[in-house]
Amino acid sequence: MSGLSVGMFLFLVSVGMSLIFGVTRIVNLAHGSFYMVGAYLMVTLVEVLPDRPWAFWLALLLAPLGVALLGAVIEVGLLRLIYHRDPLMQLILTFGLILVISTLVLLAWGPDNKSVSRPEALAGSVLIFGQPFPSYYLLVLGLAPAVAVGLWLIFYRTRWGMLIRAATVDREMLGALGVNVAALYTQVFAFGSWLAGLGGALAAPTIAVALGMDGDVLTTAFVVVVIGGLGSFAGSFISALLVGLLQSFGILVFPAVSIVLLFALMAVVLVVRPWGLLGRPEQ
Amino acid sequence: MTSSTRALGVLAVALVVAPLALPPFFLQLLTEIAIVGLFATAFNLLMGSGGMVSFGHAAYFALGAYAAALLVKRAGVPMLLALPAAPLAAAGGALLFGFFIVRLTHTYFAMLSLAFAQIVFTVIFKWKSLTGGDDGLLDVWPPAALKSPAAYYYFTLAIVALSLAALHAVGESPFGYALKSARENPRRARFIGINVRRLQLFAFVISGAFSGLAGGLFAFYNGSVFPDFAYFTKSFEPLVVALLGGPQAFFGPLAGAFGFKILEWLVSRQWPVYWPLFLGSIVVVVIVALPMGFVGLAGGRGWRTRLTGKT
Amino acid sequence: MADSTDRQDLVLQTIGLRKHFGGVLAVNGVDLSVPPGDVRAIIGPNGAGKTTLFNLLTGDLTHDSGRIYFAGEEVSGLPPHQLCRRGVGRTFQITSIFRRLSALENVQTAFLSHHRRHYNFLTPARRLYRDDALGLLELVGLHEQARKPSGILPHGDQRRLELAIALASGPRLLLLDEPTAGMAPRERHEIMALVARITRDTGLTVVFTEHDMDVVFTVAQRITVLHQGSVLTEGSPAAVRANPDVQRVYLGQPTSR
Repeated sequence: MSGLSVGMFLFLVSVGMSLIFGVTRIVNLAHGSFYMVGAYLMVTLVEVLPDRPWAFWLALLLAPLGVALLGAVIEVGLLRLIYHRDPLMQLILTFGLILVISTLVLLAWGPDNKSVSRPEALAGSVLIFGQPFPSYYLLVLGLAPAVAVGLWLIFYRTRWGMLIRAATVDREMLGALGVNVAALYTQVFAFGSWLAGLGGALAAPTIAVALGMDGDVLTTAFVVVVIGGLGSFAGSFISALLVGLLQSFGILVFPAVSIVLLFALMAVVLVVRPWGLLGRPEQ
Repeated sequence: MTSSTRALGVLAVALVVAPLALPPFFLQLLTEIAIVGLFATAFNLLMGSGGMVSFGHAAYFALGAYAAALLVKRAGVPMLLALPAAPLAAAGGALLFGFFIVRLTHTYFAMLSLAFAQIVFTVIFKWKSLTGGDDGLLDVWPPAALKSPAAYYYFTLAIVALSLAALHAVGESPFGYALKSARENPRRARFIGINVRRLQLFAFVISGAFSGLAGGLFAFYNGSVFPDFAYFTKSFEPLVVALLGGPQAFFGPLAGAFGFKILEWLVSRQWPVYWPLFLGSIVVVVIVALPMGFVGLAGGRGWRTRLTGKT
Repeated sequence: MADSTDRQDLVLQTIGLRKHFGGVLAVNGVDLSVPPGDVRAIIGPNGAGKTTLFNLLTGDLTHDSGRIYFAGEEVSGLPPHQLCRRGVGRTFQITSIFRRLSALENVQTAFLSHHRRHYNFLTPARRLYRDDALGLLELVGLHEQARKPSGILPHGDQRRLELAIALASGPRLLLLDEPTAGMAPRERHEIMALVARITRDTGLTVVFTEHDMDVVFTVAQRITVLHQGSVLTEGSPAAVRANPDVQRVYLGQPTSR
């Protein structure tokens, strides 16, 4: 079960990264950092808000929005300037952002681990198939598929979503048709950041909120995205589940093994389908 | 004698004479510069000559460092026998990972290489019984004869010089030509009979091996090894260094290493916490501000030096 | 049709080659027999399938059915580097060279690969096959430009260079994809005259696609005309030119010529 919930966090981060890549063609290496910021914001918000039942939920609402704001600022202030550049340069720039953000987090919150308590309503555990599970996981397991369905609805049932899908296929045409592509990019980047922030905020009560979170999630998100295929939402979902399950299963068996399993899975997928299960080859 | 050969000669003399003039701290700095220079030059075999930018080269650096350290700590092997294990272990890792990584190009190549490096990091971190995990392996020192800063400096200098000579030879060899052709035009390279994937895998292994050697040298210089030798921030180093110095010139990465390390020293001694921030910001600013990105990228400098005939 | 003993004599042979492309049967049962030393042009109006056929021959596309034989051996599905080792060379419609290498290095690299020395790590390559490479460059008229970065050469020179690169691999069959595309008329004749001269001197077999009929009728020894994915007719330039079907397909009506 915890594997599934880990998979959900991964899904949120990966789908955000995939979305950003699909539209803007930028691989945001700092996406793990957004996840981390989401978690840290959660810590602060829960501390700052009054000790009431609704505080957690408000924090859960606000933290991802904070990350979305951060994402929007980065997009407008930096990424806009490099869209036309060599993808390598873009990668290096987002790599540089990892360093900047992680140092800023260190400066703002200090080096010690933080934690977030679960809300009272979900502090206990429930029995599923005779096994006790933390109730909090129900939230996660409920929320993430809801997000997935929500995403599907957005992309396939709203005008905005249609614009995004069109942008992944042909940006220039979209601009020629009078769509404000620049604004669309900002919105997409903010939305992708929001997803990562939501992942971090949701994850905060389940793990130690610490520096280095960005690297951990980035690695696994990478593996997820590589297996599922960059730019494919369905691919991210399926492989996030797979990876999350494998990780948890592996941890039960023997801690070191899980990473080897991951590696083996990635290797198998890449031999058979070099661009991931549902990915598209690069041009 | 061309001007560049003369400059090299002067530099070589200066390096050899340095211990007589410089205090131990600067010798240590130079040792680090040499190690980073080797790492970055090995990395640049892939980037400059091969057109393949790896975002996970720390994996091979760390594999080398840990292989040597483990032999010394767990098997009691003397350092001079343990050090050769560094490039071997790294080459093995490069062969294994490279097999998958070279099937991809550009962004996917970069991402997959990063993913594998993080896997190496996680294995080192978690396999506490073998690697010491977060605590690392300590007391990994060279034998008494090589322990002083000056002695280890000469030792490193010799090995790095030999390695650079080898890497230079590779670049100028038929293999180097084929690698460059695969970089320029993989399709055309195939149609002159080159199995591009296999060729690039070889390059990956060679690059990994020398990166591992750098890691091994660093292990004994540092006296200890830690998991963050494999962390992605370490992978950033050869990339930034090579870009800084110019990837199309053979000694570019070495020059970049010099500049980078001096900069790191200056910033870190004042504000140690701020170094990653500084580095990240510099990178961001340079990429945004300079139209060509870093000097020499995309063959800019290489183009010019070709036309003017200078190396 | 040719049996296996005849097949050995043919440099290139296809049997019943078929390819669906974008929902259309682009190549529909093409049989092709190219003897050694032939200079074969493949022509046809737009949409006739010549590009698709050509891409099937070079291995860029895999055929749906049929077989391709090179020097008597089946080569269907071989990756490009192996096709090259068997003796098939090619040039591309959009000139494909190593732009940041000098013209000399371009050809040298081709020689190094041909002689299987490209896994040599230690010998300086600068001197290897330099004379051979210079000789080839002279043959294609690029001797003066040997040291220049090939990317800055004018278009026509780049095409000559590509020819030299292809020749360095010592092919028995040369596949030229629109070799004169983008060239001025005089250059076209020059380069094709060069190709013709090389085939005469070395017995190299050439198959090429072309739009320029002037070039085709001057240089080709035999012409294969495609129409809607099949071979309409095949023969000497004179025979093809006089063929009423060909005239109709190209011009809409038979002409008296």
